[in-house]
Amino acid sequence: MQRISNIFKKQEPEKPVTKKFVEKKAESGMKEGKPVAEKIRAGHVHESGCTGCLVALADNYEGILKILDRYVDWVYDLTLADTRHIPKMDVALIEGSVCLQDKIAVEEVKKARENSAIVVAIGSCACTGNINRFDRGGQANQPQHESFVPLSDLIDVDVFVPCCPPTPEQLRNAVLMAYLLLKGTDDQKKLAGRYLQPLMNLAKSPFFSKASFNTLMQEVINQGLCMGCGSCAAACPVRAITMEYGKPQGERDLCINCGACFAQCPRGFFDHGLTEQYESIMELIQEVLK
Amino acid sequence: MVLGNYKTVVSARSTDKEILKGAQDGGIVTTLFAYALDEDIIDGAIVAAPSRSKPWRGHWDIWRAEPRVVTTRQELLASQKTGYNICPMVTPVKDAVRMHGLDRVGVVGVPCQIQGFRKAQLYPIAMRDVPDKLALVLGIFCMEVFPYQSIVQLVEDHLGKKIDSVKKMEVGKGKFTVRTERGETASIPLKDTHKYEQPGCHVCLDYVANLADISSGSVGSPDGWSTVFVRSKKGEQIWNEAMTAGMFETKPMDQVKPGLDIVKKLATEKITKNRKTLDSRATFGVGKGLRNPYLNL
Amino acid sequence: MTKVVEISPTTRHEGHSKLVLKVNEEGIIERGDWLSITSVRGLEKVAYGKNMEQVPKIVSRVCGICPVAHTLAATEAIEASICCEVPRDAHVLRVILQCANRLHSHALHNILTLPDMYLPGTDKKINPFSPEEPVRSVAKRIQRLREIGQTICEIAGGQSIHPNNPRIGGMYMNVSPRAKNKMYDLTKEAIPLAKAQMDFMIAVLRNYQKREWAEVGGKQVPIPKNLGYHNQGYMATDPVYGTTSFAENPSWDAERFMEVRPWDWYMSEVEIDLADASYPVGGTTPVGVKANPRIEACNGVPLYDGQPVEVGPRARLSRFKGFDEKGTIGQQVARQMEYMDDCYAMLSHIDELNTSGKVLADEIPRGDGTCLAWATNEAPRGTDVHFARVRDGKIHDYSMLVPTTWNFPTCSQALAGAPWQLAEVIMRGYDPCVSCATHMIVIDDDKKILAQKLIQ
Ligand code: SF4
Ligand code: SF4
Ligand code: SF4
Ligand SMILES: [Fe+2]
Repeated sequence: MQRISNIFKKQEPEKPVTKKFVEKKAESGMKEGKPVAEKIRAGHVHESGCTGCLVALADNYEGILKILDRYVDWVYDLTLADTRHIPKMDVALIEGSVCLQDKIAVEEVKKARENSAIVVAIGSCACTGNINRFDRGGQANQPQHESFVPLSDLIDVDVFVPCCPPTPEQLRNAVLMAYLLLKGTDDQKKLAGRYLQPLMNLAKSPFFSKASFNTLMQEVINQGLCMGCGSCAAACPVRAITMEYGKPQGERDLCINCGACFAQCPRGFFDHGLTEQYESIMELIQEVLK
Repeated sequence: MVLGNYKTVVSARSTDKEILKGAQDGGIVTTLFAYALDEDIIDGAIVAAPSRSKPWRGHWDIWRAEPRVVTTRQELLASQKTGYNICPMVTPVKDAVRMHGLDRVGVVGVPCQIQGFRKAQLYPIAMRDVPDKLALVLGIFCMEVFPYQSIVQLVEDHLGKKIDSVKKMEVGKGKFTVRTERGETASIPLKDTHKYEQPGCHVCLDYVANLADISSGSVGSPDGWSTVFVRSKKGEQIWNEAMTAGMFETKPMDQVKPGLDIVKKLATEKITKNRKTLDSRATFGVGKGLRNPYLNL
Repeated sequence: MTKVVEISPTTRHEGHSKLVLKVNEEGIIERGDWLSITSVRGLEKVAYGKNMEQVPKIVSRVCGICPVAHTLAATEAIEASICCEVPRDAHVLRVILQCANRLHSHALHNILTLPDMYLPGTDKKINPFSPEEPVRSVAKRIQRLREIGQTICEIAGGQSIHPNNPRIGGMYMNVSPRAKNKMYDLTKEAIPLAKAQMDFMIAVLRNYQKREWAEVGGKQVPIPKNLGYHNQGYMATDPVYGTTSFAENPSWDAERFMEVRPWDWYMSEVEIDLADASYPVGGTTPVGVKANPRIEACNGVPLYDGQPVEVGPRARLSRFKGFDEKGTIGQQVARQMEYMDDCYAMLSHIDELNTSGKVLADEIPRGDGTCLAWATNEAPRGTDVHFARVRDGKIHDYSMLVPTTWNFPTCSQALAGAPWQLAEVIMRGYDPCVSCATHMIVIDDDKKILAQKLIQ
């Protein structure tokens, strides 16, 4: 853990971690947590998604065992654990869109917000609606299930981890940074806050929860920002993007509205100062999982 | 810090005659990749290669750059020539670690593309299995690049040469120069090329690929040599091994002309100009600005 | 007197479901209903009018545990509808992808099953996440098997969760010789691990079978010898892969199938009058709450020859290998036995792959709308059937009949005779994938309509 202080020596002064997190942490009733004081309480809430996001988290293989050993008490997860009702948590990872016509789903997602200090929307169903943006009801046995929205339409979401599916590595990074934000030293809190900042910005963005290939066009190409790196084409999980004469062409009949192209694009968001420390941050992540 | 973090900077040239023959400058990138392939440091590399010409598009497409996954020295050498037009180097990175079966990938790119690779490592939002597979990241100095059509117009209109007769393109000493198969050279001042630049380059705040393991470019070194920044731990290790293996001859930067000062000068110019562009974008319209992608600038 | 107890939501499986159980005075289930309560996304309806290339990508997202099944069943149903034959090596890549997904999925299911089971020779239930031995080595082995499965999926299929290499007409790309060797080496590594895992799991399952009781919420609940028995019969279309209506001898008969709404098969409104707050974790539904399975169910009821059937590992082993052990443990043992066949099938197909063979059909017809075709895929949890009719590259009809939909009513039958506290153990034997199961077609009026369309 020594390394984190080194990271901050090189860093310019910057905004402190948002106040909201700190306040919420205080009121989240951590006293009832397990004796292992350093662990955070986290869980997985499943809405209208496919569990692929959870599988992606589990695809950290041995890494996930280490995370559960050392940093996280996994207190809620209908797929991997036995608890039936959403408890108080530090971090709720919520997967899936919410069906407005499904009372249980709407109540659950509100409850998850109420009970959690940090809400992380994992996967594009939760962040942008993804394929659920195409849903239009009419199907047995609940034809009235027609409107599916991303989480941020109903509750405040703190962090977005988009893509369909999200990657094991990005989920791991988000969980570890959330841990550092809550339990780390001051320097670690600062680093974690800075790391999570763009993912928090996505959660607050006026356009990102409505993302599709068009978002990449509107917010990068149309804004004169594209430099033709091809990250978007590599990112697209359905091969909807090809690079034509150095610029992205989106097959809109393939696009599933996941937002990964914009989120991965270096001209979507980019933090020069933080990225300069890539070596030490990657070493840090490796070290905490050793 | 316009030149980014680095451990050492030298002027260098490949000792590999075969590579030097086809090289743009000191043959740094090709030699490093050839060495890394040989020494089993990488399984393959993503390099810029002339687009495989498609007859229906006409043969002049040879100057259009395209990323390609290569795994042998022959393939690597066949892809040395590039022509200042946009080549989306990040595109095949996921296929490289999947269908190509590479566990250790070498990549090369201009500064903004290296930003893309590093973002893929730090924020692998859609880059599963990429972060730990980039074994050697090489950067190239870059002031700006051009859409392919810009190159066509510069060469065929401004310089009056058929693009498929061009043997070599060069940006340097304030000029854009081409040499044709008939041995002619023609050039125009760089300032005449500016209007054709890719717009996205105007918000780029990196000239010497600050985020690469090793970055290089002709600026600062004599003809046929390259200025090389060795930046990361990994870069330093590979560079030192390659030096020990005799892959490069080097000269200290303070003993070559024009030297590091010109690199610093151009880097400062680029970054200052583009910071201004960013500022002016903020008030581009009437009470409305354009989006700024950068955090904590 | 019969009482009603409700377990909602059920845990340790994919998605949201619940159990409504009528039990006698001894707490033995007389009649059980297991139903999905996952929101109905209606992806089949979404498919209507969409581009045929996009539909496999959308329906893949029905399930992140068995996305390969949905991608391949969709792709092949569409290919059958447009009468497109895919090149041999594309098919070989798809089979590799199929096997790799099954390897990961079965291993994942081990994690979900183990907490019900005991370490042989002890009265200690297994927590798969415990850092203590011998459990930690098992957890690591499971994760390594999953890693191998997912990595091979990624090489052959482009992505492990929601593969993007398959496309209508074949695959986007073949793999390199290096990638082929990598898949081979990984499979070789998996074989001894899979063998060890199979042996471990079967020992644990047999141990459970021999036990008199299982501890649930602090009580010792007797384990009946006929835990999970039913007489509904089995359905499977292939030991490993699947079949299509385009095949020369399809191993599935669409005319024998129909699907009805839950109305006929599930209970009408009941009031909960038995509750147990100690049932782990969080108790059962409180007394006084009403449940109405036939209205609440988000799944349909598919029938083969007029009855629900079981699909999945035991159905495959029973149809193709004469395996005949009944009950939950028999079903679980069958799943473990599939490990090896799966690895060998993967290995032989990797061997068979020609890395320079073409993987995309030269001509991909756009469909004339006359052919309502289907394809089955033997997903980890059982037969996944997709139906498609394509005209001019656009989807005109689309339906899915996924494994857990078949198993919902069958499992409901299998609940009877067990103490209600073990209902979830029976349910978990089916490796339920509930998000999948909310997708269905309902052709209750006249199954001839479907049959006629198929004949055209
Ligand atoms: S984002 Fe993708 S992987 Fe996650 S739940 Fe939605 S469809 Fe599944
Ligand atoms: S990732 Fe962004 S900058 Fe790169 S090519 Fe795509 S749109 Fe352009
Ligand atoms: S183009 Fe691809 S990456 Fe972008 S939103 Fe659509 S599906 Fe996602
Ligand atoms: Fe599934």
